[in-house]
Amino acid sequence: MTDRRRINGPPCGTRPPVFAPATGKAAESPKRTRRSNELRKIFLKTGLIPSAAGSAYLEIEPARPLLTKPLIARSSALKLTCTVHGPKPLPRSTPFSPNLLITTHVKYAPFAARRRRGYIRDASERDLGVHLETAIRGAIIAERWPKSALEVTVNVLEAEDDRWWGNVSGSYDASWGMMNVLAGCITATSAAIADARIDCLDLVVGGVAALVREEASQKTEGHAVNGSPILVLDPDPSEHRSIVSTCVIAYMPGRDEITELWLKGDALEVALSEDDKRSGHEALIDGAVDTARRLHSVLTAAVVESGERLFSAMTDGTWTKDDNGNVEMKI
Amino acid sequence: MMATSLPKLAVPGQPLAPVSSHLSGPGTHIHGGVICASITGPVIVDSSQSKPKLKSVLSVSRTYSNRNTAPTNSENNNNLNVMPTPTTTPTAAKAKLRYNTLPVVDSMVLTRVTRVQKRQATVSILVVLGGTVGSGNQDLAMSTSPNDNITSILTSAADPENHSSSEELRFQALIRKEDVRAVEKDRVVMEDMFRVGDIVRGTVISLGDQSFYYLTTARNDLGVVMARSEAGNMMFPVSWREMRDPVTGAGESRKVARPF
Repeated sequence: MTDRRRINGPPCGTRPPVFAPATGKAAESPKRTRRSNELRKIFLKTGLIPSAAGSAYLEIEPARPLLTKPLIARSSALKLTCTVHGPKPLPRSTPFSPNLLITTHVKYAPFAARRRRGYIRDASERDLGVHLETAIRGAIIAERWPKSALEVTVNVLEAEDDRWWGNVSGSYDASWGMMNVLAGCITATSAAIADARIDCLDLVVGGVAALVREEASQKTEGHAVNGSPILVLDPDPSEHRSIVSTCVIAYMPGRDEITELWLKGDALEVALSEDDKRSGHEALIDGAVDTARRLHSVLTAAVVESGERLFSAMTDGTWTKDDNGNVEMKI
Repeated sequence: MMATSLPKLAVPGQPLAPVSSHLSGPGTHIHGGVICASITGPVIVDSSQSKPKLKSVLSVSRTYSNRNTAPTNSENNNNLNVMPTPTTTPTAAKAKLRYNTLPVVDSMVLTRVTRVQKRQATVSILVVLGGTVGSGNQDLAMSTSPNDNITSILTSAADPENHSSSEELRFQALIRKEDVRAVEKDRVVMEDMFRVGDIVRGTVISLGDQSFYYLTTARNDLGVVMARSEAGNMMFPVSWREMRDPVTGAGESRKVARPF
């Protein structure tokens, strides 16, 4: 669908062209310096949007700090906000529903990625919305809220790259960055729903794992032998030249259940190292579950903070959600 | 007894106690024989003193009732004269358990009139006051979104110019002509009972259809609690059917709730 109502800018970024052959440090594609099972730090905070019933902000720390000034910009990180409105009355045209109706919207800000996004949701954004809806639908106890609707809106302020910006030249394989965005959406939405105090079975966490093929030149002894891919948790797509397959899951750690599974790439034929007899799919799902388990502690801390904030607001006699940090529990 | 190991603040999915020792109350669900929290909030154990043989009910509250201190917002309550002070102890065993903050049959609500027609008045629900009507022991079980800041809602509510965009976020309800009062039901003229912008206290008689709840004001303590006159001044009640403007002295007819 094209947007005819507004004057849209150019679809691509307006970065000035760089013709000089990139040499030295600038031309080096970024490498993963973390261990393969090490996650990037995330920042998660609830209740930042006072007009919403529940809200959360999630940010993933960029893998590399901006120390040098390369010609080609460093890889981007993930920043997104999630708002939950409701429970509110059903829209007029909707028939009676004994359950809570959930609608999800995921929207990239126009400046979120290197390629400019339009104001109208495109196919990939709608796709993310559907995935997010299935992820949270399995966790919510919908029958406790008859005749009401819940609206979840995720605004992606900065999205992860699909590949390194430096070797963008036509090598379009898949939108790997979307997988990380979806995992972030799931975690942030879970925090926002808990902040809105909608009944759910468990805090649902998004986790990502990927199978990547390292280049021959940078192979180290600890890594796999020729061509067999290795499993990395929380992959940054810009750090890997060739990603074989990526998997996102929405996972409920308390009950060991998966509400959403999205696997991209071809991991069927993949053989891992000799001592690892798992199939590629199994390894990916195990890795994603492992990521989600570790993110769960961050999510729990954010939700506890939300509860404490409500407590302090109520005992002050005000009903506004103001942000006064950590407060001692006195009940 | 598990009560000693219960956390003060529960997060969704957190296991709290086995079903063998407690009953699952609001804000919790049962998974694999264990009561788990389903919302964030303080864990409350309500042991029903009347029947010591029953297991105590374990619930996660949506609100924090400050048990040790007196309510700090008491002056607000007295000013508005419309809501009971929060109770300090968990409700008696008679009170119904509430699993959500939505209106249920018999719950008392505060509403703002949005439309007056010949046969009915349309109102939007501002606050759900929990508990059953008439028991002096009412928990304020209202949802905790900032839209429900009672003081700000009510002071702005009767102002006809203040119709915020959050109106469609509120649940709608109808007061039918025959539910306005208990006597002389056939003589009711809706325009003499409610005006747009009035704050009305009513009780829910039916969950209604997909879009409207049904309310009644057919009791002495139900009806208009706040209203502005045509001149725009706050009026005070003079009888069960009339309110008066303190500035102009003009009276207007309303179905007035008995002032406390």
